[in-house]
Amino acid sequence: MTIVDTGWFRIGARVLVVAALLAGWQYLSAAEILDTTSFPSMTATMAEAGRQLQSADLWLAVWETVRGWGLGLLIGCSLAIVVGTLLGLNRFAYLSVIPVIEFLKTVPVIAILPLAIVVWGATLDMKVFLVAFGVFWPLTIQTIYGVRAVDPVVRDTAAVLRLRGLRKFLNVTLPSAAPFIATGLRVAAAVGLILTIIAELIGGAPGLGLSILTSVNAGPSRLPATYAFILFTGVAGVLVTSAFAYLEQRLLHWHESQRNAAAKAA
Amino acid sequence: MTPSPDAPSRPETGRTASADVPSVADPIVAAATTPSQQFAARSGRAPGGGAGRLLRGLWSNLWRLWFFVTVLVLWWVLSADSTSTFFPPLRDIAQSLYDTWIAGEARSDLWSSLRHFAVGYTIAGVLGVAVGALLWKFQRIGHAVSPVLYFIYVIPTAALLPAIVAIMGIGSSMKITIIVLAAIWPTMLNTLDGMRGIEPLRLDTARVLHMSPLATVRSIVLPGAMPQIMAGLRHSLQIGVIMMVVSELIASREGIGFFILEAQQRFAITEMWTGIIVLAVVGSILTFLFIAVERVVLAWYIGARAVEQKG
Repeated sequence: MTIVDTGWFRIGARVLVVAALLAGWQYLSAAEILDTTSFPSMTATMAEAGRQLQSADLWLAVWETVRGWGLGLLIGCSLAIVVGTLLGLNRFAYLSVIPVIEFLKTVPVIAILPLAIVVWGATLDMKVFLVAFGVFWPLTIQTIYGVRAVDPVVRDTAAVLRLRGLRKFLNVTLPSAAPFIATGLRVAAAVGLILTIIAELIGGAPGLGLSILTSVNAGPSRLPATYAFILFTGVAGVLVTSAFAYLEQRLLHWHESQRNAAAKAA
Repeated sequence: MTPSPDAPSRPETGRTASADVPSVADPIVAAATTPSQQFAARSGRAPGGGAGRLLRGLWSNLWRLWFFVTVLVLWWVLSADSTSTFFPPLRDIAQSLYDTWIAGEARSDLWSSLRHFAVGYTIAGVLGVAVGALLWKFQRIGHAVSPVLYFIYVIPTAALLPAIVAIMGIGSSMKITIIVLAAIWPTMLNTLDGMRGIEPLRLDTARVLHMSPLATVRSIVLPGAMPQIMAGLRHSLQIGVIMMVVSELIASREGIGFFILEAQQRFAITEMWTGIIVLAVVGSILTFLFIAVERVVLAWYIGARAVEQKG
């Protein structure tokens, strides 16, 4: 092991790359290689970001985005888990519905957005509907497969032990489906955030997406604000993705997929 | 990652929903993508042989479409007398679909969309595989830049759109840029993951045998990573289609997205529905085309999986 592979060096290298990028950004705009009317300087953006952090407008926008995202996710995911479980437990229903769901999954969710905008306008309902609709299909499929993925040995054991009904569901089906659902939820959370932002940008519902749009429309002087909002959106993405990944690890530490991951990391 | 029979049945711990490669066991389910294979395989459908098997498979799966047909018929019947502004009769939509998209002028919008998509997706795919491979080859650099890459990856790309419009204006370059920016990530990350998953033993063997770098890439790296690269490319395809539409919805004067938006603003709801349907059909045709290509490219892998599953 050389010095290059020590933990401190690795962290240092990462910090250095980030710092170099920010410095490069600042240099390019200071030297006016970047057109300042379309690309603000790093310091201006950061200063604006700092100002925004203290303003109520930003937190209101964040709250609107989080509300639309959270409600949509809650509705879409609960429906998907219930429907997926029911479909997964019945072979006939599963075989009948799979072609429809697999087809609908390939349809770009965004196709439904104009309809939602006409029906609900620039409201919270519109956002919630789009997010719920968008996360429903993939998670339903994931749940169906999870419910059906019970290990044959476990299934046979359950049969020998005459486990039935709710007990079988809680002790056999749910544990085997949980990792599938968790993966589906993690993906759904990220997709949901993207859809929320798109709904705000195109549908004009209040939130971070709309803030980005209005600051762009306000002209070049507000440009730092645009980039500040984009940065905040990125931070929201980081938070959502890592929170769900962390939860998945904590809640499913007993499952072999996580054990393997832990072993690999060690 | 050696393709062991149960490997894809475990939810992957990677970042994208990836480890899904179609199987041969179950025509309809497999044709319609995703992690379906292991279930088809486990549900123990006895595989027959050759063309007879295909025909029998088709027939025994055809009945499953009843639900799909029922939904369509129900939509047709229930909407026949619809006076709702938002949900016009399906018959009117079908009529308008023919008038505008097949007999009418809207085809140019379709071609415009597809052209941008094709260019953007190709660039994203090539760049994604190339950058992913470079990040794998130069692991220390990859490690150092990973936080930056990760941050750009999690920013919802749509949020970048207004800024990109401000920089590049309205036009083809803006649309292609946005498609590339969004679609590159799944391919890149899956390429990196797939190559990381190659057994070190194989690479060591190649070194011992003094294989040239080119031969190593061709006979070990690419085959080893191909299933996951294809999974990434498929995910990229879906994102590419979405961003194609989003870019047209926000700033454009042509394309399917523009058609839908324009119909919506004129309150021509029936026409808007035709745009939505065309978009849906385009999205699924592209996905099915991709699956067809994937089956050719991964034929050896699917074959190997089938043998393992039988055994």
